[in-house]
Amino acid sequence: MKFREIVESPCGVRYLFDELRLQSGFARKVLLDREMMTDPGQIDDVYAAVREYVEMVHADRRRVEDLRFRLQGLRDISGTLASLKAGAVLDEVEFFEIKHLAMLAESLGQERDMDRVISILDPDGLKIGTFYLYDSYSGELRRLRDAVDRDPDDEQLREQLLNEEDRIKKNLSDLLRPHAAILQETLMALAGMDISIAQALLVKDFGLTFPVSGQRTEIHGMFHPEVRTVLRAKGLDFQRVDFSFDLGVPATVIGANMGGKTVALKTLCMIQYLYQFGFAVPAEAATLMPFDDIRFCIGDEQNEKTGLSSFAAEMQRIDRAITSIEQGGRVLLLVDEPARTTNPVEGTALVAALLQRLAGKRDLALVLTTHYTVAHEGQCWRVQGLVPGTKGRTMDYRLVKTASHEVPHEALNIARELGIDAQWIDMADIIMKRDYE
Amino acid sequence: MPFVGEILKHRSVSIVGLAKNAGKTECLNYIIKRLPLDYFNVAVTSIGIDGETTDQVTGTAKPEITVREGMFFATSEKHFRQKRPLSELYEVSEEDTALGRVVTAKALQEGKVLLSGPSSATALKRWMQSLGGFGIDLILIDGALSRLSTASPAVSEAMVLSTGAAFSANVKDLVGKTAFVVELIGLPLYVGPEPKLHVSSFSSLDAAMLKGHPVVEVDGALTDRLLMAAKNVLGEDELELVVGDFTKVFCSQELYRAFVRRGGRLSVRMKSTLLAVCVNPVAPNGIVLDSDILCRELSEKIGLPVYDIVKNEYEV
Repeated sequence: MKFREIVESPCGVRYLFDELRLQSGFARKVLLDREMMTDPGQIDDVYAAVREYVEMVHADRRRVEDLRFRLQGLRDISGTLASLKAGAVLDEVEFFEIKHLAMLAESLGQERDMDRVISILDPDGLKIGTFYLYDSYSGELRRLRDAVDRDPDDEQLREQLLNEEDRIKKNLSDLLRPHAAILQETLMALAGMDISIAQALLVKDFGLTFPVSGQRTEIHGMFHPEVRTVLRAKGLDFQRVDFSFDLGVPATVIGANMGGKTVALKTLCMIQYLYQFGFAVPAEAATLMPFDDIRFCIGDEQNEKTGLSSFAAEMQRIDRAITSIEQGGRVLLLVDEPARTTNPVEGTALVAALLQRLAGKRDLALVLTTHYTVAHEGQCWRVQGLVPGTKGRTMDYRLVKTASHEVPHEALNIARELGIDAQWIDMADIIMKRDYE
Repeated sequence: MPFVGEILKHRSVSIVGLAKNAGKTECLNYIIKRLPLDYFNVAVTSIGIDGETTDQVTGTAKPEITVREGMFFATSEKHFRQKRPLSELYEVSEEDTALGRVVTAKALQEGKVLLSGPSSATALKRWMQSLGGFGIDLILIDGALSRLSTASPAVSEAMVLSTGAAFSANVKDLVGKTAFVVELIGLPLYVGPEPKLHVSSFSSLDAAMLKGHPVVEVDGALTDRLLMAAKNVLGEDELELVVGDFTKVFCSQELYRAFVRRGGRLSVRMKSTLLAVCVNPVAPNGIVLDSDILCRELSEKIGLPVYDIVKNEYEV
């Protein structure tokens, strides 16, 4: 899975991507084409590179700004490098591109072989980033140029000059060809540098943290960056939440409306993606494990456009997730209130059955939020809930483990706290007691 | 050496033709020939290519600009590869146009180039900013046909207008039409309190809406439709319309006159400096106007010097 496929995930990666201060369009393209990592060692390598710049951001901000300024000059010349590698004769524009890259790389400390490339394209040792077919490439070139200058209408001389220029271009291309692979690596390294610096700045801007890789998921003080920004604009704080889960142990999250269940699930999903794409995560501390597949099933507004009812779309999403689980590999499945749009009787049955269907899957980590009471062998979490006496204004969003799988009957209390029409809520209370208790 | 001295007082000048073959390219070449390059770094580019490729259709000469040694120029990769004097590459833009990326180079000898620079006013501005490190003193912009936007003061500081028989084959008509453009270029800067009412070309105006708003800001283009509505509500109250700059005015002369007769006023946020008007009395279809009469009548009408730079081989 590539990064571009998860940017629009409803978990909200888009927001952080937009806040990423990349300097070149090429780095943006490279990032979007990055594959999701599943090897903790590889993730740690990426983290090590980002950490270096995090330290630099703290210790030497001026150096960081200098690097960023230079990186604005980074251009995607992979097409030119590919034709060089394939044996093509390059022209002046392409030589310029290569010289520009080599000088940029040298100024950014990526020096491997660059001095040799530069010496080919800077025969006079001028150390400036411009290029043309310099007179000093051959005595013949100089002689012909002078001759054409004196007699611009001599077609034969012009022809000779063009031939000599072509000969030099071929010669230069041959000289550069052995460096094509290293130039391509350097190009990617510079894009990587741009991305790492932007990621390091994101760590500082949002107070992100580097997780450690482990055998389970345990997150302390997680937050959703976009929701936090929205709250801050209103002068409110985002209450950080702790959560943990294991492979083979399904976890359900139950609790009051407005209790932040969906936001918690989105945050879990985002953290998992960020980790597997080498980003620091929005939490105080985290131990994470990589998955081969991450599935986030949440109702969204796209259904109407595709003509599917929200129920049908949701069922299909979960169905695809089950298929993926059956295919093997480690899967993280996050489901937000499955079957919530159908009636509670069938809804409860569907959720209970889903848990049964997926029971015993040792490579599956399942987190599911629900309004229905469903008993299962796994772990049950509950939103702490409304703080009594605050007229519905204060919610305690913490998630706590609970032994009971019974969904708390808080809707009526919340409605009362909100000051909703008392006669209506009282009647609901009577009906509930009569019919269900 | 008419008006070249004026050009040197500005950092960016666009040369805009009111019609195809109005003599814009001659005008640009005329200017380039006379620039004191010994102590002046000059860059030249054009905007857009759509107008210029039609040259192949009408069969008239392709507009080639003669760049002098030491001048910077920007053109598309395609045209750069096609034809140019020996030049040193300084920059290849990230932006892709229909003819490839925009290449900025310095001519190491005099020679002809085909100019096809950045494809939009925004891209042009970005290119102008990218020249920052090269120590450029003056940027000349060849504004393509019907692309007055390059002449916007938001892009270039000053402009040279070229007009001619190609724009209208009747001296009186040509003078009238050209004078109207000159009049718009000369629209006064708005001074006064910030207008509280903003309208766009899609807005509908009525008397009730304008009550208590003697000044209205027009966001975007001022179209015939909007001006007509403004004219129709003009009665006893005053009305002044404020537009971004003269390139945002897209309305007919007759309507503008009617608006002004009823007491309406038009002003701009940013003002262009018109340095000169050049005329080309020859139209591609063979019509030739009397150059002296044309220059004299236009000059009288607009109160600015008018030059026929082809006929009058002004000293270099």
